[in-house]
Amino acid sequence: MFRPAPRASGYFRTSYAQDLSLLQSRSERISLAVFLLALAAFPFMASPFALDLACQVFLASIGALSLMLLTGYAGQISLGHAGLLAAGAFTTGILAREMHAPFWLTLPASALAGMMLGLVFGLPSLRLRGLYLAVSTLALHFIVLYLGGEYESKRGFSTGIVIEPPTLLGYKLANGRAWYFVLLIAAAASLLVCINLLRTRSGRAWRAVHANETVAEALGISIAAYKLLAFVISSSMTSVAGSLFAYYRGFVSIEAFDLFLAIQYVAMIIIGGMGSLLGAILGAAFVTLFPYIIESLLHLLPNVERLAGDVFAVNYAAFGAVMILFLVLEPLGLVGIWHRLQNYFLLWPFKYRPLAGARK
Amino acid sequence: MSALLQIDGIEVVYKRVITAVQGVTLSVSERQIVALLGTNGAGKTTTLRAISGFLGIDDARVTAGAITLAGARIENRPPHEIAARGIVLVPERDKVFPGLTVAANLAVPVPRSVGAQQRQDEERIYRLFPRLAQLRHRIGGLLSGGERQMLAIASALMCRPRILLVDELSLGLAPVVVRELTQQLLVIRDELGIGILLVEQSAGLALTIADYAYVMENGRIVLDGDRERLRSHQDVQEFYLGQARGGRRSYREVKQYRRSRRWYG
Repeated sequence: MFRPAPRASGYFRTSYAQDLSLLQSRSERISLAVFLLALAAFPFMASPFALDLACQVFLASIGALSLMLLTGYAGQISLGHAGLLAAGAFTTGILAREMHAPFWLTLPASALAGMMLGLVFGLPSLRLRGLYLAVSTLALHFIVLYLGGEYESKRGFSTGIVIEPPTLLGYKLANGRAWYFVLLIAAAASLLVCINLLRTRSGRAWRAVHANETVAEALGISIAAYKLLAFVISSSMTSVAGSLFAYYRGFVSIEAFDLFLAIQYVAMIIIGGMGSLLGAILGAAFVTLFPYIIESLLHLLPNVERLAGDVFAVNYAAFGAVMILFLVLEPLGLVGIWHRLQNYFLLWPFKYRPLAGARK
Repeated sequence: MSALLQIDGIEVVYKRVITAVQGVTLSVSERQIVALLGTNGAGKTTTLRAISGFLGIDDARVTAGAITLAGARIENRPPHEIAARGIVLVPERDKVFPGLTVAANLAVPVPRSVGAQQRQDEERIYRLFPRLAQLRHRIGGLLSGGERQMLAIASALMCRPRILLVDELSLGLAPVVVRELTQQLLVIRDELGIGILLVEQSAGLALTIADYAYVMENGRIVLDGDRERLRSHQDVQEFYLGQARGGRRSYREVKQYRRSRRWYG
């Protein structure tokens, strides 16, 4: 990934090594260190409820990052990501329940299941585009949920599969703080994997295929191979997120993976900002926290008790309204707002920057 | 036959019923610029697509004849395979990736083994096109038409082609820019020693740099020869260069049927 000049004062990289380094300047290194410290300190100060929210955001971030790879970079739309989460969760649930398989076995198994599903349901992308592709990935969602439902009812787990908390390095992962760190590391690892993938030939190929298939193919890129690769990688990452979700909740049930979840994931990358990994994370945080924000806002109103039954309806409606507002007013998403803010402070007291260093 | 790219009597059929190109034979050697001239609908782009493998998109096929690159048959192969074998197309319109910077555009075709090799190639490109070096961090969508054409040619060169196919070099560009680009093509031919097949509507331009040229009409090649022969050919002068004796001809006079009558008759 080649980034434009990171600072308003100009472009000072003089070697290819500098061009490729992830952190360009001392201020970037310092702010990253401060951010990591804050993340590490958070669980020691936060309430259990806030800790749970943070864990949900991390889980959603992994899913959103993988969907961003597929949709934001490779340009392939998927409505099947809730199905893939379910596939990962059920693979984990079934293996843990039936064979008492440990953590280190169920996780790769989920990744493998996701890979195979991604390969099969990526095939239509070689012929279909846009809306038609979205509909074909919807089939993935329904097939996985049907199979999961069948398993639940045939084995008599009609309310869901209960999973024992996993043991990691002899330590039982049962409290919120431990989970916070596990999921934080998982999300950070996913982010690093995504950043690095995008800096390789595959990342460039995906963006090329997204931008212009003809030119990409003329330059020797096998479009079919790279589309399938995007599906396979994205699906296996999502399945791993599903597996972690199953362990975190300690419980797998098809109710958790409805179509609304698939739409929420698409919403995350749209609200966060298409074609940006930071956007995926911001979007994941926004969409995860949004219902809680709405709920706490509702509590400020008088006669809350009377409204209790309407909270869900208000949530859905507000979510829809926010989606529309983002699509119409801020197509670049949260990341667009972030870049504008950044530019404002970087350039102050000036207003515009010259073209050469323009941020995308 | 010593030509690097050899096309022997190909026929291209669209949707299994429409013949677009018939019996086209042409060849491009190393260090040679070959121009393919003709009016709209003559079959130039179809021929180019037959070579680069892009016929499949429009449900067309090469149904007869052979296309060989250094002795290996390549007709009806997928485009990315043909590109990997060394024939790279610079397309007619949208030719750069608008969301990627110039440097990232150049990196798209680079295979797994990055490193020193890529840097050498990239630096060679910047020597050929100094303007691109200045624009290295600007995104493709913000480039001017001429800069895009430069970037497209440069990206194609990053594939280390043996044959470069250029579709409509001059389309939508200012004459000054076109002159600069044609000079660059000469430099590329001399420095890299590759063959260039140039598809052009502007015969005046093509005949200033091409070593050899073919003229297409109605899906056939009606005339070919080296630059001097074509330039001095009466019909080319009259219909393509607009240098007929007795002043400019009107469109009516230059109508298709007259040309057809003259050349087929």
